[in-house]
Amino acid sequence: MDTLLLARLQFAATASVHFLFVAVTLGLVTLLVGLQTAWLITGNPRFERLTRFWGQLYVINYVLGIATGIVMEFQFGLNWSGLSRYVGNVFGAPLAIETLVAFFLESTFLGMWIFGWHRLRRGVHLALLYGVALTAYASAFWILVANSWLQNPVGYEVRDGVAHLTDFSALLTNPALWMAFGHVVSAALLTGGMLMAAVSAWHLTRGTADFGLFRTSLRIGVVTATLAIGLVQSFGFAQFGSVGAIQPTKFGGTSPDAEALIADWTARFGPGDYLPPVLANAGLGFMILIGFGLGLLWLILPLLWRDWIIRLRFPLWLLMIALPLPFVAVILGWIAREVGRQPWVAYGLLRVDQAISPIDPWLMATSLIGFTLLLGGLAVTNWVLLARHAAAGAADPALGRPPTQPPADDSRTEPAFV
Amino acid sequence: MELAWYALLGLFFAGYLVLGGFDYGVGLLLARRTDPARRRAALNAVGPFFLGNEVWLVAAVGILFGAFPVLEGELLAGSYPAVLGALAGVILVTAGVQLRSRPASGWARTAWDRVIVVGSLLAALGWGVVLAGLLQGVPRHPDGHVVGVTHLFTPFAAAAALALVALVAAHGATFLTLRLPVTEADRLRPLARRLVLTAAGAVGTAAVVGLFSDRVRVAAQRPAVGVLLAVGLVAALLVARTALGRRREGVAFAATATALALPVLLVGATLWPYALVSTVDPAASLTVTEAAASAPTLRLLGWLAVPLLPALLGFQAMCLWIFRGRTEGRALVYW
Repeated sequence: MDTLLLARLQFAATASVHFLFVAVTLGLVTLLVGLQTAWLITGNPRFERLTRFWGQLYVINYVLGIATGIVMEFQFGLNWSGLSRYVGNVFGAPLAIETLVAFFLESTFLGMWIFGWHRLRRGVHLALLYGVALTAYASAFWILVANSWLQNPVGYEVRDGVAHLTDFSALLTNPALWMAFGHVVSAALLTGGMLMAAVSAWHLTRGTADFGLFRTSLRIGVVTATLAIGLVQSFGFAQFGSVGAIQPTKFGGTSPDAEALIADWTARFGPGDYLPPVLANAGLGFMILIGFGLGLLWLILPLLWRDWIIRLRFPLWLLMIALPLPFVAVILGWIAREVGRQPWVAYGLLRVDQAISPIDPWLMATSLIGFTLLLGGLAVTNWVLLARHAAAGAADPALGRPPTQPPADDSRTEPAFV
Repeated sequence: MELAWYALLGLFFAGYLVLGGFDYGVGLLLARRTDPARRRAALNAVGPFFLGNEVWLVAAVGILFGAFPVLEGELLAGSYPAVLGALAGVILVTAGVQLRSRPASGWARTAWDRVIVVGSLLAALGWGVVLAGLLQGVPRHPDGHVVGVTHLFTPFAAAAALALVALVAAHGATFLTLRLPVTEADRLRPLARRLVLTAAGAVGTAAVVGLFSDRVRVAAQRPAVGVLLAVGLVAALLVARTALGRRREGVAFAATATALALPVLLVGATLWPYALVSTVDPAASLTVTEAAASAPTLRLLGWLAVPLLPALLGFQAMCLWIFRGRTEGRALVYW
């Protein structure tokens, strides 16, 4: 067995599961901010119920985002100690900033938000959700600063074989950064919007008693997803130029730029295979197909007029069938970005085989199998719970239930001390 | 500057042991054969603090990566099995606590509670071994890499891991006497006192095993400081026991919190000026200065992160303040 391959598989597995959950987190929290703001301004109880129902799904989904995120953070040190040794001075900074400035606060605010219903003033409670959303975006931003540096190392100099930071602003103006950030954020909004639309569609096809409530969230979901797919496509295609310029080997094939770069690498690092596996680009093609397919949302949008989308029924079914597509697309896009920079961990600076920790393959295999089973099992459990809570409807979500109301989901009554 | 960042790293890891410590302590106590309502009440006593507690670990590892990249790689990769165990425990607890009440059936909730027990145990054992591993030195070779895993399997590491389990259990029980309604706190008090005493015994045992360990004696740069802090730790636990007897739960909790923060200070101060002491080649030991990121990185982090520290600590304090007091009557039940 090969420690390097095992470590790469483990990172790919963890990052993929992480991405499936954080995309929903980022998308849904944005919509939740809108819903709770509407509740505060209008005082309409429908918005309170919408906030509780979608908030419940958001909070369940959040669990796996944290769990996989923590495992990824530790993997850098566990499996890729060469990364911290050679480029930690530069790459570590945005990650440290992310944990302190973003994630630390995000989780603190979320804990207060969950337990702050019926306890905090409404304005304070809403402010906490704004805090959760802002720090979630900040988190995505700093992670992409770090990732973009791996795609296109800038603002550093190498002394004694170790990279040192020379210009932090170069990390923030990295050509690999901003379009990718826009692309990821709009993909998250697309995913959140599609989830909201599809779950609402399911309830509407089954003649729910909560027609008004799910009609509202269907409309919000469809409008969000439609606007987001436009942004996803724009940011996606806008990336091709800049990525091709900074990573000529990414999209396979041969170009004069790529050949010159490979010749340069061969001279500096010795001969080797400096092209990414073909797999990366096959996935990219599928992702673009999905992107065009979801563009059909623009045809569904006009059907919101006079509720034709509900009266015709079949658009509701289309939305439900399409729900897996954004999830598949975010994974494929991520694979294209990450596999496309192989064999480098930091493009043109540090190869993956230089970054691997000197860990016995059997130990690495234990870690890979153990954590893949653990996180995979938790992910499936989480989706089952999400599906059940989505199907249970908005009658009585546990989130935001008044303390005086006996918990309907408990098999026995709580004693007085709770 | 390196010392300030090292202190900050210690602050966040100690903060994690104190705050995550009562999560795990409450988690371990779910193993008792109590009725489902009591188990749920215990988890909701942690309630609003839970999400804000575990992030201290994430922040500590963030600082470790940003400010001490070399230490990050060698410490985590060099303590591989222990970190894997701790990490699996952290994941099981975070998923278990947040998801256990989402299914409605009693057996599913009981199963999740067992997951939380196992997770809490793994987390405490794992971090105990990591801390002990630091204190007994690591096989860091002249090429800069820590190689092998067998160095972790020593009597001292086992004793330290068990001591940390006993410490978090005592801390969790003390937390519950502070936080649950008075009648429930009274029920728990005798157990809390027993656990605190057990923890004092376990810490004392680990200290003695450490004193007899050649590796610990060689690695310790300031043995007197280490012994003094270990004595302080036991003293804090005895204070906690007395305070529990006098129904001063706040004082008792402060004392067990001190007891959980002290191991981090003990390891840092005993090894200073080293972060990692090599057992194979004294020249391969890693000082804190060598482990730190280069000056421009530390300056940048200083400008960006340090001004935000008051906000981080302030919002955590706000959480503790808003949800202070016993969970009587109006406390929300969610976990």
